[in-house]
Amino acid sequence: MTIPVPHFPAGADDAAGIELFEPSLEDLYEHAPCGYLTTAPNGVVVKVNETFLAWTGYSRDQVVGQPFASLLNVGSQLFYDTRCLPVLRLEGEVREVALVLDRPHGRPLPILVNSIRRAGDDGQPRLVRTAVFDATRRQDYERDLLFARRAAERSEVRVRTLQEAAATFGAAKSEESVTAALAEIACAAFDATCATVMLPVTDSGILRAVAGAAHPVGESVSIDSQRPEAEALRRATVVTISSVDEAERMFPALAEPLHAARLEAMTATPLLADDAPMGVLVCFFGRRRDFEEDELALNRTLARLGTQALQRIRLQEQLEHLALHDKLTGLANRELLQYRLAQALFAAGRHLRPMSVIFLDLDGFKAINDQLGHAAGDAVLVEVSARLRGAVRPSDTIARFGGDEFVVVCEDAAADAAVAVAERIRMAIRQPIAHVPVALPLTASIGVARHRPIGGRIPEPDEVVLQADAAMYQSKESGKDRYTVVDI
Amino acid sequence: MSVSASALDVLRRNNVNVSGDASGRPIVFAHGFGCSQQMWRDVASGFVTDHRVVLFDHVGAGDSDLSAYDRRKYDSLHGYADDVLEILDALDLRDVVYVGHSVSAMVGVLAATHDPSRFGALVLVGPSPRYLNDVGYVGGFDQADIEAMLDSLDANYLGWSSAMAPVMMGNSERPELADELTTSFCLSDPAIARHFARVTFLSDNRRDLARVTTPTLILQCTDDVIAPLTVGQYVHDSIAGSELVVMSATGHCPNMSDPGQLIAQIRTHLT
Repeated sequence: MTIPVPHFPAGADDAAGIELFEPSLEDLYEHAPCGYLTTAPNGVVVKVNETFLAWTGYSRDQVVGQPFASLLNVGSQLFYDTRCLPVLRLEGEVREVALVLDRPHGRPLPILVNSIRRAGDDGQPRLVRTAVFDATRRQDYERDLLFARRAAERSEVRVRTLQEAAATFGAAKSEESVTAALAEIACAAFDATCATVMLPVTDSGILRAVAGAAHPVGESVSIDSQRPEAEALRRATVVTISSVDEAERMFPALAEPLHAARLEAMTATPLLADDAPMGVLVCFFGRRRDFEEDELALNRTLARLGTQALQRIRLQEQLEHLALHDKLTGLANRELLQYRLAQALFAAGRHLRPMSVIFLDLDGFKAINDQLGHAAGDAVLVEVSARLRGAVRPSDTIARFGGDEFVVVCEDAAADAAVAVAERIRMAIRQPIAHVPVALPLTASIGVARHRPIGGRIPEPDEVVLQADAAMYQSKESGKDRYTVVDI
Repeated sequence: MSVSASALDVLRRNNVNVSGDASGRPIVFAHGFGCSQQMWRDVASGFVTDHRVVLFDHVGAGDSDLSAYDRRKYDSLHGYADDVLEILDALDLRDVVYVGHSVSAMVGVLAATHDPSRFGALVLVGPSPRYLNDVGYVGGFDQADIEAMLDSLDANYLGWSSAMAPVMMGNSERPELADELTTSFCLSDPAIARHFARVTFLSDNRRDLARVTTPTLILQCTDDVIAPLTVGQYVHDSIAGSELVVMSATGHCPNMSDPGQLIAQIRTHLT
């Protein structure tokens, strides 16, 4: 590497050339191409050069004797006192610190600062030397960069949150998993201390927390009450509380419980399905929060995604129910019967436990249908289903098998248990029915197929139903309104 | 004394350092925003002869476990207060003298009001329950000032992520960076620094002052722009039975600029 040799005017010797261009060290100091300050260990300026004064427009008197930090704008003062000074004291040096100088006239001046500490022989700091560089141009593009970065970070949070929400909600199979995910994702997106989802309890006028963390200030809230959750639901809009002071003004009864739970702020965002609120997403914060519009917008979007997922799951549950249940009576249809029966037979075979299938056919239904009409016939079928529900054990499955044929699957039923159910059914059906004349009596012919597994082959569902059907037919043949038992 | 596994986790998480006289009255130093336990170096040394001295880093600062930084937990000062209580618990300290500088003064207030049982005295150095001005209250700053401070933070961290991120992620190809980092006491992840700044400067803990039951000493500096004298007076008026001392030390960090005076004031108060 070669070092360029300074070129001086012809005729002058080297020393004279330097004299000509650098008349004195003092001039070098005063008119250096950077601002230059010396401060005492307590931060007070003791010496400053001309360049600094020319750049800033301060007079020497306005600078010397003042703490250096007092020349900075407030934001820089905060940064300088909390971060730069400690580093300077611990490490003896700071480099390239970006600060902003307030000027007596004109715009604030962005600067870059290098400082070093000089210690005495005893190791104690004596003074700090600071070089100051004008960073106006640099600052302009840095600010652009900074704003771009912040905007990118904000949109990254938004995109990540919505992506996660879409993926999680899409995979959710139950209402519980949707509400739990909604609370969790909202909590992470807003740095909330905790979050919960509240849904109305049917016909109770009460909102209850169903997901997320335990509701810190009351698990359930009356829909008519003066609470932000209730108000968000009633007014179908986001309700926010920024501080306990605000809670005191808006929801006085809430202020003390919030503070006692070490909480300061909260948001309540309604879950709006076609503008009709179906629940509320509630977030709690441990410090005062001034909610910004983009935060609230993300809150609403998240709530909307959650609502859509809840609607989808409720619809799916409805469809599933429709596909597997009889429309008129709400009992299981043949498809569900097939499934439940196969399950019951498998379980019985595996654990060697008895089970039974009860087949019943209504006696006298055709006459009712013919004489009173189909509507009355349907009403009788609905009444019969209600009586069946009252007669069986809670764990039994009742299916509508055909027009006026029903099948009951009794799992874990010892021989006499199934017979007892059959007898209760018989007694229930023969009770008079409102609006049906006594001349049109209704009874049931019942067949009970009892299965006691002893190992080996598990019977097919159809086979068992067929046996119960045959037994029912025997009851019909023998005079109706009775049951016949067959063991298989 | 046996220390449980979870206690060890706490001590590691907060980089807790214990020194001094094991049988002496415990004194715990909590650093403020912007630095680490290193700030207490010259003060702590004044207590090792007759106190059990405990230093620690808040999670996100110094040599704490950065992976423990949970934005939800540390979105309020309660998260930091819980850590303090866990440290006192892990070391099973009683009758503790808690010395909190700057934001850690409020962290101590929150910890001591949540569970006063382990605290014997609170020393609040340059405390401020709220930095923002409010109706009938002068905190010293407007929202715009705090935003300018965050700008300042960001401006000084512009080049950070490219230079320092590999170190945080344990890049062994550039071990020289790791050395640099361990000697840079006050460096931390810019995202954490920004979040901590927000939590520090936008919190409002005025309500909590009245609940303090631990004997409290307030040490105020002369010419502290961050915690002006009026704020110190407010804290003094709000904590029943507290003592306020205005020191001749200037600026916001008397623990560094005048450790001798700070030691003397604390000692006077404790005797």
